[in-house]
Amino acid sequence: MDGAYSDEVRRLFADPAHAGDLPPGGSRTASVEVSESAAGCRVRLSASGNAGRLSAVRFRAFGCPHLLAAAEAFCAEVEGQPVTALLARRVPALMERLAVPVEKTGRLLLLEDAAKALARELLEDSSDGTNDTQT
Amino acid sequence: MNASPDMVYLDHAATTPPDPAVVDAMHRSLSGESGFGNPASTHVAGRRARAAVEQARARLAALLHTDPGNLVWTSGATEADNLAILGAARLRAHRGRHLITMRTEHKAVADACAALERQGFEVTWLAPERHGRLDLTALEQAFRDDTQLVSIMHVNNETGVIQDLRAIGERCRDRNVLFHCDAAQSVGKLPVDLSALPVDLLSMTAHKFHGPQGIGALYLAPRPECRIEPLLYGGGQERRLRPGTLPVHQAVGMGVAAELAAARLEEDLRHYARLNERLWRGLESIEGVVRNGGREHAFPGILNVSIAGIEGESLLLALEPVCVARGSACNAQSGEPSHVLRALGRSDHLAQSAIRFSFGRETTEAEVDFACRRYAQAVAHLRTIMPATAVQAA
Repeated sequence: MDGAYSDEVRRLFADPAHAGDLPPGGSRTASVEVSESAAGCRVRLSASGNAGRLSAVRFRAFGCPHLLAAAEAFCAEVEGQPVTALLARRVPALMERLAVPVEKTGRLLLLEDAAKALARELLEDSSDGTNDTQT
Repeated sequence: MNASPDMVYLDHAATTPPDPAVVDAMHRSLSGESGFGNPASTHVAGRRARAAVEQARARLAALLHTDPGNLVWTSGATEADNLAILGAARLRAHRGRHLITMRTEHKAVADACAALERQGFEVTWLAPERHGRLDLTALEQAFRDDTQLVSIMHVNNETGVIQDLRAIGERCRDRNVLFHCDAAQSVGKLPVDLSALPVDLLSMTAHKFHGPQGIGALYLAPRPECRIEPLLYGGGQERRLRPGTLPVHQAVGMGVAAELAAARLEEDLRHYARLNERLWRGLESIEGVVRNGGREHAFPGILNVSIAGIEGESLLLALEPVCVARGSACNAQSGEPSHVLRALGRSDHLAQSAIRFSFGRETTEAEVDFACRRYAQAVAHLRTIMPATAVQAA
C-alpha cells in the first residue's frame, strides 16, 4: 500500500473537520444516507440551510480512506455556498485533486448521489423543519 | 521504545527480516567465501559453490529431520506448491484426475488447483469446521477411487490455525493418495519432523523464518509412489525436477536460517505465545472486536481480529506506523474480503475489517503494547466518522 494515498488524502483522513453530526438546534436541516452493496460503502450527508445557503454541512461515511477524504473535501467545499451548489458535479475534480484510483469511481459517486438527494430535501421543503432520508 | 516510533513491524506472516547471521553468511558467500562458481560445474570453483549449497541443504534437512537428498531447491513456497500439485497431478493423471483441498488454502495452492480444474481435473474444495480445522470425516467422505492428491496447509497464513498433518496423512496413505502440505507458515516456526509425519510433498520458503526472500524448497518423501513431473525443462539440476542455476548465496542464507530456527524453535514459540496473549488481552475489551480462528489449535505467531462497523482499508491506514495486514499479503491488492474468513463463516462485513498481527523473533512487548494502543485510537477515530448504520449492517 506504500504510495497508495496522497499527502492530502492522509491529511483529510487524519483530521476530518466536517465528520460527525450537525449541532442540535439551528435552522432548517436535512440528512440523507446512501449506500452501495458492492463494497458496502455508505455516505450520510447532513446540512442546515439558512436563507438559501448551506450554513453547516457534516458527513459520516463507511468506506476507504479515499472516500472519507473526498467526503471531507466535499463538505468543506460546499459549506457556505448556496444550496444549489450541492447539484454541481464535483467528483471528477475531487478524484483528480486527491489522486483517487479510477476503480474507486463508483464509491465516490455516492457523494454526488447523497448531495443531490440532500439538495432535493432542502429545496423542496419550504417550511422549517427536519428531514431525514435513507436511500 | 519511544512514544511514536517510525515503524512497528507486526507482519511476519508476510515476511520476516533476515537474521543478522543470515545476512552475514550471504554477504560472505557473495564476497567469495563459497566462490562465484556455478554449482553444476565440475571444476574447483563449481565444487566450492556446490559444497556451500549442499551444506545449506544439510542444515535445512536437519531442521526437518530428513535426508538432504529429499529436498529440492525452489524460488519459494509458491513455486514449490505449483511444482508439487501440478507435477503430481500430471504424472498421475492416467490413474485418476481427482484432487482434494480446502477453501482456506493460500492462493498458491488454490490457484494451482483451479488451473488443473480448467485442464479437466476435478477438485473437491472442503469447507473448514467453525474454527478453521479440517473435518476429517468430510475428508474421508471426499475420497474417490480416482483421487490422486490431497493438498492441505499446515498453518493457515491468515488465522494461524494448525491442521493435523498426521491424521490427514494417515488417511491418504491408507488409500495410496499423495499428501501435499503447504508449510510456508510452519517450517522454522513449529516442529516439523518429516521422519515421523506421513507427508509426501511439503513446501517451504526461507523468508518466513528470518531467511532471504527468493528461495524455498520442496520435500519429496523417499517413497516410490512419490514422484512428480517437472514444470520446467533445461539442465539436470535438482534431480531434473527443478532445472536452473542455483542461487548459492540464497541457499546459504536459507541454510543458516534453518540452523538458527532449529536452535531457537521452542524459545521462539514461547515468545510468540506471550506476545499473542498480551495483544489479545489488550484488544478483546474494545467493543465489537472478535477473534478469527480458534485458539486451541493455533500458531501463536498470528492473531487475526475483526471489528464491527469499521472499514478495513481505513483501519489499516489509521493503524500506521504499525505494519499489519488485511488477510494474506499475496492478496492485499484485491481489496476483497478474505476468502479464508468467509470460509470460516464470517460475514463479508466482518471479514473486510480483519487485521492480521504476526510476530517475529525480534518483536518486543513494548511494540505489542504500542500496537494495542494504536488499534484502540484508530477505532475511536474511525467511529467518529463512520455511521452507526454500518454497525447495524454487520
